[in-house]
Amino acid sequence: MRSDRSPLALKLAAFGGLLFLHLPILLIFLYAFTTEERSYQFPPPGLTTKWFAVAWFDRPDIWPPLYLSLKVAAISTVMALILGTFCAAAMSRARFFGRDQITLLVLLPIALPGVITGMSLRSAFGVMDIPFSTWTIVLGHATFCIVIVYNNAVARFRRLSGGILEASADLGANSFQTFRHVLLPNLGSALLAGGMLAFALSFDEVIVTTFTAGQQSTLPIWMLNELVRPRQRPVTNVVAIVVFAATFLPILAAYYLTRGGSETAGMGK
Amino acid sequence: MTSAVEFRSVSRHFGPVRAVDGVDLTIAEGSFFAMLGPSGSGKTTCLRLISGFEQPSAGAIRIFGEDVSRVPPHLRNVNTVFQDYALFPHLNVRDNVAYGLMVKGVGRGPRHAQAEEMLALVKLDGYGDRKPAQLSGGQRQRVALARALVNRPRVLLLDEPLGALDLKLREAMQDELKALQHRLGLTFVFVTHDQHEALSMADHLAVFNEGKIAQIGTPQDIYDRPATRFVADFVGSSNVLPPALTRALGGPEAWASLRPEAVRLAAAGPVTGPVTALRYLGVGTRVAVRLGETEVAALIPAGQPLPAEGEIVALAFDPSALHVMEGAR
Repeated sequence: MRSDRSPLALKLAAFGGLLFLHLPILLIFLYAFTTEERSYQFPPPGLTTKWFAVAWFDRPDIWPPLYLSLKVAAISTVMALILGTFCAAAMSRARFFGRDQITLLVLLPIALPGVITGMSLRSAFGVMDIPFSTWTIVLGHATFCIVIVYNNAVARFRRLSGGILEASADLGANSFQTFRHVLLPNLGSALLAGGMLAFALSFDEVIVTTFTAGQQSTLPIWMLNELVRPRQRPVTNVVAIVVFAATFLPILAAYYLTRGGSETAGMGK
Repeated sequence: MTSAVEFRSVSRHFGPVRAVDGVDLTIAEGSFFAMLGPSGSGKTTCLRLISGFEQPSAGAIRIFGEDVSRVPPHLRNVNTVFQDYALFPHLNVRDNVAYGLMVKGVGRGPRHAQAEEMLALVKLDGYGDRKPAQLSGGQRQRVALARALVNRPRVLLLDEPLGALDLKLREAMQDELKALQHRLGLTFVFVTHDQHEALSMADHLAVFNEGKIAQIGTPQDIYDRPATRFVADFVGSSNVLPPALTRALGGPEAWASLRPEAVRLAAAGPVTGPVTALRYLGVGTRVAVRLGETEVAALIPAGQPLPAEGEIVALAFDPSALHVMEGAR
């Protein structure tokens, strides 16, 4: 049993790394309760919950960005679910010339830095004379949301082994019945997971959004603007907690869903 | 007797690869037919041609007289037990078995009743509520069998049905499959690469080699009178004798096969050679003797004296056991 225990120094380093990564998140929570509103003073001079009330009642400027972010995330997720699933189905079932190259093209948006995606989309919109709107933001987000859904779906398609689809046909099911009774139930949790991840990614996206949004701002961009203004700063932290919950919980759920799914989908061997 | 399945010079080519190459085949109704061959010999492609997952590049396939070349899999009255069982992971055992009835539109009550009946047939009563993941390999195989039988197919196809089971379970399932086939009176077509399985279960078998049928007949025909060297090599643990050696041992100058159990060791004979290996098999010991370029095996029954390795011995056998083969390969 020699490699069972790692050396103490390594453990400390790993633990330190984790702290470094996650302590700032705790600070965000802490500052939502501070009594001091102009600068982030540590330790906070006092604790209060009044900023939650302020955010809810006195700050109507929060709501339009929040609605816009939810709307953009919802539309791009739905688009990604449809297009990503079809794309995965095609890629995992068909063998054709240039298939690997097309797979690469599909995956590219997530590998490309956001600035590149944003710049290219912005110049494309300019060339085609498309005015900036909610839809240009949606288009920008859909580029990487599709990849997320595609990745989840393609992994599940691979595990599904043509076997059960053939078994379904063998037992007398036509292709619609096979889709409805075999493919969809087995793909369901992968799509749910992919959809949640896509939603979370779209909800807090900043870079592509700055390039593709006109005068509107989404919630993350509103937050960025708020932080430079020395007024009711803790309200931003309150909103951050909401964003954290809105993005982290779906990701956590997605993680557990796909993990459970692998046990059921991996069997049959 | 009607023929359940008929192949008329059927070929299936994948690009330049001739997976199935001009196969003629007639499977009688009610028979237990085995397709035996090494991997890549075309036996599985033949099975998929019957189930409809492959279309012939040339030739015609008839199932009970009907040309099915243009009939898609879901409209054929044949069902398959897949090699990896291919059970639906999201459905419980009862719904797996009832699937074929469900897609036909049979109501929940009757289809569940029929599924239970099928589960009883394969001795899995009471397992209906479990998920496939909770079953052992042998149990999954029975579910796959019940699921394929629920549609009352006229031909049941089995693709290496016992390949994933351990030896003991495999032998028990062999007997059970045979009994089931007898009871239902169905035509079973099964694919295997295991010669013992094919010989012990089938009443007729076809030996495949490189997309062609090397020999077709009863297990006894094929074991006792292999038509080609390939069949002798693959099916039996038979000795294959080159023409010169056949002649030296008292036969004509032709390729011949000689079963190890027909060979005895003798003190003197026309051809002698050293013992190169002894392998204990339980029922006897397999003694390998080198005669020139060829190694010839003799099966010495348990209890008889054994030679030492390296000892020079001669071989003796009943001349009628020497089977001369027509084909050179």
